[in-house]
Amino acid sequence: MTRTLLFAASLTLAAGSLGAQANPAAAGAGATLIKNATVLTVTKGTLKNTDVLIQNGKIAQVGSNIAAPAGATVIDATGKYLMPGIIDPHTHTMSDAINEGSLSVTSMVRIQDVLNPTAINIYRALAGGVTSINILHGSANTIGGQNATVKLKWGEDVDQMMFPGAPPGIKFALGENVTRKNQSQIIIPGQPTTRRYPVSRMGQEEVVRDAFVRARDYKATLDDYKARVAKGEKNLVAPRRNLELEPLVEVLEGKRLVHAHSYRSDEMLMLLGLADEFGFKIQTLQHGLEGYKIASEIAKHGAGLSSFADSWSYKIEAYDAIPYNVAILLRHGVNATINSDSDERMRRLNIDAAKLVRYGGLTEDEALATITINGAKQLGVADKVGSIEVGKDADLGLWNNHPLSVFAAVDKTFVDGKVYFDRQQDLAMRDQKAKERADLEKAGANQAPATRRGVQPVLPQEER
Amino acid sequence: MVASLRRMAFGMVAGLLAAPSLAAQLASPRSIPATYAITNARLVPVSSPVIEKGTIVVRDGLIAAIGANVAVPGDARVIDGTGLTVYPGLIDAYGSIGVPNAPAPSAGGGGRGGGGAPGGPAATPARAAANSNYPVGLQPEVSVVDLLKADNDAFSGPTSAGITTALTSSGSGIFQGQSAVINLAGADANAMVVKAPVAQHIGFSPLRGGSFPNSLMGVFAALRQQLLDAQHYRDVKAAYDKNPRGMSRPEYDPSLEALLPVLARTQPVVMYATTEREIERALNLAKEFGLRPIIAGGNEAHLVAARLKAENVPVLLTLNFPHRTAAPSADADPEPLRVLRERADAPKVAGRLAQAGVKFAFQSGGLTTWSDFAGNAQKAVENGLSGDAALKALTLTSAEILGVSDRLGSLEIGKIANLAITRGDLLAHGRVTQLFIDGRPVAVRAPATTGNAGAAGITGTWTVTVSLDGSDYPTTWSLRQDGTRLLGSIQGTLGTMEIQNGTMGTDNELRFTASITLKEGTEEATFIGTLDGNAVRGRMAIVGHTPGTFAGTRPQRAGGPPAGAPPAAPRTPNGAR
Repeated sequence: MTRTLLFAASLTLAAGSLGAQANPAAAGAGATLIKNATVLTVTKGTLKNTDVLIQNGKIAQVGSNIAAPAGATVIDATGKYLMPGIIDPHTHTMSDAINEGSLSVTSMVRIQDVLNPTAINIYRALAGGVTSINILHGSANTIGGQNATVKLKWGEDVDQMMFPGAPPGIKFALGENVTRKNQSQIIIPGQPTTRRYPVSRMGQEEVVRDAFVRARDYKATLDDYKARVAKGEKNLVAPRRNLELEPLVEVLEGKRLVHAHSYRSDEMLMLLGLADEFGFKIQTLQHGLEGYKIASEIAKHGAGLSSFADSWSYKIEAYDAIPYNVAILLRHGVNATINSDSDERMRRLNIDAAKLVRYGGLTEDEALATITINGAKQLGVADKVGSIEVGKDADLGLWNNHPLSVFAAVDKTFVDGKVYFDRQQDLAMRDQKAKERADLEKAGANQAPATRRGVQPVLPQEER
Repeated sequence: MVASLRRMAFGMVAGLLAAPSLAAQLASPRSIPATYAITNARLVPVSSPVIEKGTIVVRDGLIAAIGANVAVPGDARVIDGTGLTVYPGLIDAYGSIGVPNAPAPSAGGGGRGGGGAPGGPAATPARAAANSNYPVGLQPEVSVVDLLKADNDAFSGPTSAGITTALTSSGSGIFQGQSAVINLAGADANAMVVKAPVAQHIGFSPLRGGSFPNSLMGVFAALRQQLLDAQHYRDVKAAYDKNPRGMSRPEYDPSLEALLPVLARTQPVVMYATTEREIERALNLAKEFGLRPIIAGGNEAHLVAARLKAENVPVLLTLNFPHRTAAPSADADPEPLRVLRERADAPKVAGRLAQAGVKFAFQSGGLTTWSDFAGNAQKAVENGLSGDAALKALTLTSAEILGVSDRLGSLEIGKIANLAITRGDLLAHGRVTQLFIDGRPVAVRAPATTGNAGAAGITGTWTVTVSLDGSDYPTTWSLRQDGTRLLGSIQGTLGTMEIQNGTMGTDNELRFTASITLKEGTEEATFIGTLDGNAVRGRMAIVGHTPGTFAGTRPQRAGGPPAGAPPAAPRTPNGAR
């Protein structure tokens, strides 16, 4: 226990001292051979005393006594554990905006437009073995904005962090957050205090239905135009592009994944039914704390569900949550995952997964799957990440202990074969950063005016 | 001794202008002497080598002659420029000079996430355009020319820094409308305009009041949709104009109409972006729609220099360098390294842009101490920028970026006679003594912020008691009024803080916000009150508290400028007295 606490403290220090800056430890693009690790493949069991060869950003070989190619970096992983990079299907980290809460349908807004690649929580998540995350719009409105699936390539530009080939998605939200938003109206003097529709679950259903009726009409307009062009009609002007409805047309066409924030079984059933009516799929129910009540129905629709390990009763609609939720869902054939929805919990998802062994009776592989391969499936990237298999992206965490142990800590985190977190480098960098800070403090512009002592500066907001 | 010498020297310029008859003439522009010759002066044309001792002749608002051996015309008023240096009038390449109640651009300082929620750095709602289909803040048809006001008091600050010309825009909203290049003198607003429209201006702050867009994401969606709508409008109109028969007439839309030259790249787009990622986002948007971007702000432009160079995007670089405004408290978290770096790096940005081959011009960036304009350009020179490049960034390059280098920005025959005359080198603590704008002498006054009677009603040091929740808090307010802008700080039992968002209305109403320190912590307070001679009173609102009140007086109303203020320049006929 003492070890865990000490470790947690040192990690916090490390991240704090680093500040937002270039990736500390990106190894060359050359090959890396990890020798003699206990390899938790997740999909193919646990392999003891096994080597893993990384080449060109991919897992090239998994086996015994693999010879290191010339120039390869060799890491002796004796006594260490190698697992797939953790995938967090629900976060709001590294985004300079969370909610466009002005309207009930804001499908036109995109998280990708406002990502901040220097957010320190990227680095902290890497230190917890996380390599891919799904950054969702908030839950202020029924149809929210477009999410972004990202690889945590700390130090790179946003463009390089976007997960190549990940299908686009969109956030929906049902229940209290949508209605509560309207009830806790902040009164701004001189501003109208109109409440935003809807203020009930009935209204939320109507908003979704109305949006998809409009999307269907818009799709018909687009299809008609395409047909007339195909027939060779001339002098046609293309229909006005509608950024609100375009993503919903993509949902109807099965090209965009719906991640729906929902808590209660009745609202989840409503949405699944509505989706069936319009002929599209709900990719995931997010939170879904009452999912265990309707596990068979969720499985029948084919939706996944992403939940918390053991958070409940923090609001009315979360009263019926149980820690067995994910286990029950898995036993009923639902692809279920654990997510963080939190910058802080994002770097301890391994512990949340371990809770499922304790409370749900899951096997270790099943528990690890809820933070790796299952998330990859929910985000449509299971062919690339989520398990240790030859040909997949080398997104890996090298742990000093079994990741389901409270004593586990990450030594190195790889994304596409590059080291983006290295515990030893982090320790070495602290002195360097302290020196830079001391030097910067001496600069004239960082000197406080002599007359203004002891006043707390207004600190810039780091996140949202 | 120094002061008396200065007065003597200045007398040569000011003396001839001080005649009462001329003062009367100045009220009527037509009767101003049309020809001036400044002799024996050091001339810095910017576009050609310095003339150590020469003459410049100004006639009918234009530069008529310049050189070492120029004959003085017989009808010219002669000004002995011995010891003086003549520069092209400086250009403030971005801001809202001449627009009453315009919001100040943020000074940067690093770290703001860039909005995200209502209550973030939202822009003040712009003036509404008549008959617009779009909400206020998304009306590109707004023209700053309709908002301009000829206001010599508001110009006293910039002109004291040698600025004769400025790019000005409404400064508020997302689509902020069309800007103009103006001269900071003129009989009326229209006479000030050198060129309009110059550019469409875009800001990325969400709208206030909770309507769409109220987040940074929404801002990008709104911009994108409106630009798409403009493309569609263009295409439908083209189809209709080609063959109107049998086709419904597309509805005229002034907002989309205003975006057509933007899409056609005939009008550039000035985008306000300070941090690396704000600049990247702005460039991405410009690329998506094939716009011709100019970045304004640019605090971290050096981090995007390669891309700016590759995409040929100029930068209107702020001279409002961030600096720590208060000592850190032992209880506070340490400031992020990024913030410390930005402050330390601010004077180095210009040099790095120059090195990378990025075209840039300086702009005041909302700074309120106008002597910092040339002063911070000098700091940039001390941090790696060449003196020539600095001077160009204050004159000719600015004119080039703003599309007015055919008429402004250098001392060349035929160009507009905008001159900044200094004693000493501009980039070595030189003092601006006199301007010519459109060929007319404009006296340099101490900025209205120095507390001269009449110029600034509320400027001074105030003793104010704030009453809140049954307690009285004695405080001292140091206030400065700059036009309609109210600046200053509060000290005393509520802590020490700069005031924010300060405005002074023509009805003597003052408004500002400040982060005051109470037992429970720091609270954002809104002060609204009235000025009545040497008394202020009003109320104060803090969310979660019963409204408080304040009342105070100005014990030592300064007859002259307060200690530490720059010395007032000698009076000339169009000065305040």
